[in-house]
Amino acid sequence: MSNNEFYIGWMPKAPGGFARHTKKVIIALLILTITVGVLLAISQKKFGTGQFEFGQLTNITGVYFKEPVPAIKVMSGKDLLGRSAYITIPLIGYGKSGADGILLDLEKLQHVDLNKKEITLKGTLLYNDGKLLMQIDAADNPLVSVNKTAGENMLPLQKELGEQTIQGEIVDPKCFFGVMKPGEGKPHKDCAIRCISGGIPPVLKVTNKEGDCNYYLLVGAHGEKMNEAVKEFVATPVAVKAKVVAYDDWVILYVTDQKGISPIAGWQLVKPGSQAISCIARCIK
Amino acid sequence: MGASYLAVGWNRQKKIYDWFIFAFCALYLTTFIAVTALYNPDYTFETALIRSTATLAILLLHVILSIGPLTRINKKFLPLLYNRRHLGVTMFSVALIHGSFSMLQFHALGNVNPFVSLFTSNTQYNSVSQFPFQALGFFALVIFFLMAITSHDFWLHTLSPKIWKALHMFVYLAYFLVIMHVMLGVVQYETNPVLFVMVLAGAATLVTLHLVAGTKEVRKDNRIFKLKKEGFVYVCESQDVPDNCAKIFCIDKERIALFRFENKLYAIHNVCKHQGGPLGEGQIIDGCITCPWHGYQYLPQNGQSPPPFKEKVSTYIVTVEGSQVWLNPQPLPEGTERSGAAIIIPDKQIIENVQ
Repeated sequence: MSNNEFYIGWMPKAPGGFARHTKKVIIALLILTITVGVLLAISQKKFGTGQFEFGQLTNITGVYFKEPVPAIKVMSGKDLLGRSAYITIPLIGYGKSGADGILLDLEKLQHVDLNKKEITLKGTLLYNDGKLLMQIDAADNPLVSVNKTAGENMLPLQKELGEQTIQGEIVDPKCFFGVMKPGEGKPHKDCAIRCISGGIPPVLKVTNKEGDCNYYLLVGAHGEKMNEAVKEFVATPVAVKAKVVAYDDWVILYVTDQKGISPIAGWQLVKPGSQAISCIARCIK
Repeated sequence: MGASYLAVGWNRQKKIYDWFIFAFCALYLTTFIAVTALYNPDYTFETALIRSTATLAILLLHVILSIGPLTRINKKFLPLLYNRRHLGVTMFSVALIHGSFSMLQFHALGNVNPFVSLFTSNTQYNSVSQFPFQALGFFALVIFFLMAITSHDFWLHTLSPKIWKALHMFVYLAYFLVIMHVMLGVVQYETNPVLFVMVLAGAATLVTLHLVAGTKEVRKDNRIFKLKKEGFVYVCESQDVPDNCAKIFCIDKERIALFRFENKLYAIHNVCKHQGGPLGEGQIIDGCITCPWHGYQYLPQNGQSPPPFKEKVSTYIVTVEGSQVWLNPQPLPEGTERSGAAIIIPDKQIIENVQ
C-alpha cells in the first residue's frame, strides 16, 4: 500500500492497497464463518429421539382414569407370554397446559363422569423412550365417544414398592417426550416451569449408570397435584423421597412432603441404586 | 456525507458491503443447519433456527467489536468500518429472530403473558448456576434494539454526538450480557467444550485487540511537551508534517490535528463531528480535511464543513518560528477562521526541489 493511499467510503472504488487487504480479510472471514458454523453444529449434544405428531390427529380407545394423573389405558393385544398387553397414555392439554381443564369441561358438557369409562379420544400423539402421551385440544372436539364402564380387569395393577429416595431431574413430559429438543436441562428450564405451572404433571427423569432412563410421575403424598411445589426444582438435579407405587406401566412417586424434594450436586445424579425401580416397573421398551 | 437525510445513502461500496453481509449470513445459517441435520437426524428445525441465529449473532457481534480496534491498529481495515452500522443492524435482526423464536418456543401458550413468563418462570436470581439466563439475553436485545433504531445520522444529530456515542457504548454492556446469557444457559447443558472454548477465545481476542489499540493511543497521548512559552507549546519541526496530511498531538487532554496544506499549517480539533473519527488520520482531498471513517469533510482554515453542510470543529492558533512549530492548545470557538502558518522552507530545500 502506498503511503499516500487514502480510503473514503463514498468514493466509487477503494484504493488498490485497501482493496487487496480487504480481499484477504474476506477470505479469512469466509474460513472463520464456515469453521465456526461446522464446529458449533457438530459439537451439539445429540438431539433426543422424541416425536410429536404435529398436525396429525389419532383416535385412541381405552379406559380413562382421572387419577393419579389423567390418562387413558389402552389394550394392545397379548404379550409374548400370552398376558394382556396394555399401555397407559397420560393426557396433556394444548400449549403449556394440563388436560384436567379440558376433561372437566367435556364432562360438564356431556353430563357424564368419564372416570373409569371406556372412551375414544382424538388427539396428537407424542412419544419417546418407550413412553406415549397424547395431547388433547378443545378445538379438536377430542371426545369422540363414551362407552360402558370398564370391567374390573381394566383397573390399574398397583404394586407398592416402599419408600425410596430417587435422584434425577424434574422435567415436563410434554416437551421432554416429543415437543421440544432439548426438552430438559438449563436451556429448557423456563419452558418446563411454565408447562408444569400450566398443569402438565411433573416427571422425574432418572438416568442409571448405563445411561438408560426411567421416568416417574410426581404427585403429593395423597395423590394431590404438586406442580407449584416442584417449580423451584425443575431442570436441576434433585433427590426425591417418596412412597413408590407402580401403576401398570408407570411408576408414581407420592412425595411425602415438600421437604421430600431437595437439590443435589449434578455428579450425584447417576447412582447404581437408581436402577432398582426401573427393573420392577413394567415398561414397553 | 449528505445534506439531507435518506433512509440509506446508498453508494457502490455500501452495496458491495451489504451483499457480503447477506452472503456471509446465508452461508453461516445454511452451514449450521445443514451440518446439524446431517449429524442429528432427529433435529427439529425450530431448535436449529434458534441456535443458528444465536451463534450467528454472536459471531457478528465479535466482528463488529473487532473492527474498531483493528482499524486503530491498521488503517487497512477502514473499508470494514465504513458500513459497520449495517453490520450492526443485521446483527440485531438476526438476534431478534433468535429472541422471537425463543419467546415463542419457551414462553408462548402458557398461563401467563410470555413477557411475564420470561421474568417469573425461573426466579432463582440469587443463584449463579440456576440464574434465569434468558432475561440477560432479553436486556442485551433491548440495547441492540436501541442501537439499531438510532443507527442513523438523523439520530446522531438529534441526540447530539456525545449522547449518541454514550448510547452506543452500551454495546459493551450488551456484549457482557450476551456472554453471560450463553455461559449461564446453553454452556451448562452442552457436554462438548467447543462452544465454551469459542466464547472464551472470542472474549480474549476482543480484550487483546482493545488493549493493543488502547495502549497505542495512550502512548501517543502521553507525550510530554516540555517547551512552552506564552501559552504556546512546541510540538514538532515543520518538515515533520507530511503534505496534505496531519500529525496528532494530545495537549492538556485535548487532541489536536495539525495539517499541512499548500505549505501552510492549520490546527483543528481531532474529533470528527459525525462519529468521533480521528480527523488527523485523514487527508486533505479537494482542499478539505477528510475524515478516514466516513469521509466527512472540513475546511482547514476554519474547521467548517463546506456548504451546504453545517458541521464545525474548533480551530487553534499555530505559529512557525524558523522550523519550529508552536501550537496554542486553547481552542477557538468552532468554525473560527484562522489563516494558516506559513512554513519557512530553507533555500537549500527549494533548490533541491527545483532540481
